[in-house]
Amino acid sequence: MTELMTLQNVSVHFPVRGALPFLKKGEIQAVSNVSLSIHRGEIFGIVGESGCGKTTLASTMVGMIKPTAGQVLFEGVDLNSLPRDEFKKTRRRMQMIFQDPFSSLNPRFNVYQIVSEPMFIRGEDDEETMKARVAELLEMVGLSAGDMYRYPSDFSGGQRQRIGIARAISLNPSFLVCDEPVSALDVSIHAQILNLLLELQEKLNLTYVFISHNLADVKKLCDRLAVMYLGKIMESGDSDKIFAQPLHPYTQALMAAVLDINFSEQKETEILPGDTPSPINPPPGCRFWQRCPKAMRGCKAIPPEYVEVEQDHFVACRLVNGFPDQDMPEGYDQPLVRLKTVRGR
Amino acid sequence: MGEGRVMEQVLKLRNLKVVFPTDYGLIRAVEGVDLDIYHRECVALVGESGSGKSVTSQAVMRLLDSPPALIRVDTLEFAGQDLTQLTEQQMQEIRGKEMAMIFQDAMTSLNPVMTVGKQIDEVYRRHYGDSKQAAREKTVKNLELIGIPEPKERANAFPHQLSGGMRQRVLLAMAFACMPKLIIADEPTTALDVTIQAQVLKTLRGMQRGCGTSLLLVTHDLSVVASTADRVYVMYAGKIVEKAPVKDLFTAPHHPYTVGLMAAVPRLSDEKKKFTQIPGTVPSPIDKPSGCYFHPRCTYATERCRREMPRLTPMGPDREVRCFHPLSVGRNGHD
Repeated sequence: MTELMTLQNVSVHFPVRGALPFLKKGEIQAVSNVSLSIHRGEIFGIVGESGCGKTTLASTMVGMIKPTAGQVLFEGVDLNSLPRDEFKKTRRRMQMIFQDPFSSLNPRFNVYQIVSEPMFIRGEDDEETMKARVAELLEMVGLSAGDMYRYPSDFSGGQRQRIGIARAISLNPSFLVCDEPVSALDVSIHAQILNLLLELQEKLNLTYVFISHNLADVKKLCDRLAVMYLGKIMESGDSDKIFAQPLHPYTQALMAAVLDINFSEQKETEILPGDTPSPINPPPGCRFWQRCPKAMRGCKAIPPEYVEVEQDHFVACRLVNGFPDQDMPEGYDQPLVRLKTVRGR
Repeated sequence: MGEGRVMEQVLKLRNLKVVFPTDYGLIRAVEGVDLDIYHRECVALVGESGSGKSVTSQAVMRLLDSPPALIRVDTLEFAGQDLTQLTEQQMQEIRGKEMAMIFQDAMTSLNPVMTVGKQIDEVYRRHYGDSKQAAREKTVKNLELIGIPEPKERANAFPHQLSGGMRQRVLLAMAFACMPKLIIADEPTTALDVTIQAQVLKTLRGMQRGCGTSLLLVTHDLSVVASTADRVYVMYAGKIVEKAPVKDLFTAPHHPYTVGLMAAVPRLSDEKKKFTQIPGTVPSPIDKPSGCYFHPRCTYATERCRREMPRLTPMGPDREVRCFHPLSVGRNGHD
């Protein structure tokens, strides 16, 4: 089987309480009805702006958050139906690398304690074995065995991220979720960490989920990807296909918003108006209609279907997939005329 | 008030040095920085964390507390005025009115228990002595100008009720309130999403042109620089390593660090699965290397680079480079 991780109609909702107990409760639909499959040995990118649910989705993949609905299958097994000790065993094979290397390492642990913690929890108690393993891991991520007894505060951001990576691979996982692993680092360090991730992938046969808001990084790194907006997947599939021909207006807008340092190619691009709306009680219909430059009247009310337009290229947009033939209100296919400014939030 | 001649100099900074004494040794944050900003110009100060770019910008506004900072400067002239001679009270008259600052994190730089309108009103009340009503009128006009929908209602909102992009716009409105001569924007879009970043940058640039303000853009993001600035200073470990008009810098960078930095920025047009990297890390500010600070990470470093710190050498019109072996300058590239 080539599919390592499959999400089937996964939704994650968080309840929000009103200011007073009897006020109406709302619900943050952080992830709603997401279906995805991640193949073994690939790098799968999740792109989107803050608040679009990409981190929630990743946490759901590794079982840190239980989905409100839907199933998370890891190697065909539903993670959330596993008994606790089975889940723990499976969970060892999936690890996470976090965004902020300053808050994700315990400042009172030395490097040896940080990196050996997962082994210790698994039940390893032989100090010598662990030390040898930690030394090996540190070399693997570009640090030296001599760094073992130093503390996180002795290291720079890039080095700390390397420690985080060493900890993540200490139990030989097969599935690694990288949640914005370079966005807290300096530009000149980005490439070092990304190259390290690529190198480790080859060496250890890993499958990555790479979460990022940087489309250029995703394009260079990922084999397949999903573009998220407000808890829903707008477009997903083969990375080359999506970058060659982005079909969803949001994907197009995201690509246009990437500033290029290639000076001769500076161009005036259309800037997406407005802000991401609140995920509490999101708009009906397409979640993007309020900001979409190409929205039609029907987009407001009728949610788009998630359709495979070519092999391994899915899009959820009525512009691409068309509206259903029956029961349409009048003028549904007319361009949406809206006020000049769009209210954020 | 300046008449707005084209080459009127707004800021002249010569040989700024800032040192922080710590228990572990001296942190030499800024080592002899010169900076010129002319009327209506957008100048970018680019560097990674620890390069001293923020300290430089704070020193210009005299926002650094001394102690702990030890500051030495030969010239700090703002619109013909010697800022080093002014008292703190006189400085306060200038800050907000003639030079203003926009910070990175709008949530922490706005007062959370005060409506945003009131915070902008304050600028007018403080600097022009306006009445409450007059100030609010100006505030609403200002918010509208900056592109905030329903400015009247939004003025009564608290910062937490606004989105990140809106908050950043409120900061812009506050900075532009008195039409200052110089605005210093310290990483104004770093905390924002890409689509919002594009909006805010466009507004910032539009306001700057419209108001005839000069802008000092402090950032680590070269792509922001390429789309926004007129001239660029590149900083590394407390020193300016390259100075150039933006077009020249991006078409033909001379310093190996600038070259590396540009190669490290991923582009949509790049090859897959390969990232160009600069080896090593930014040196610790306490323990900087000998000679050229960049030599341990530089592929072109020679014996001379290890021993001697190169000077900032002129290379063509309005360009300077601090390197013994500047790149892409024809065959006789070495000085």
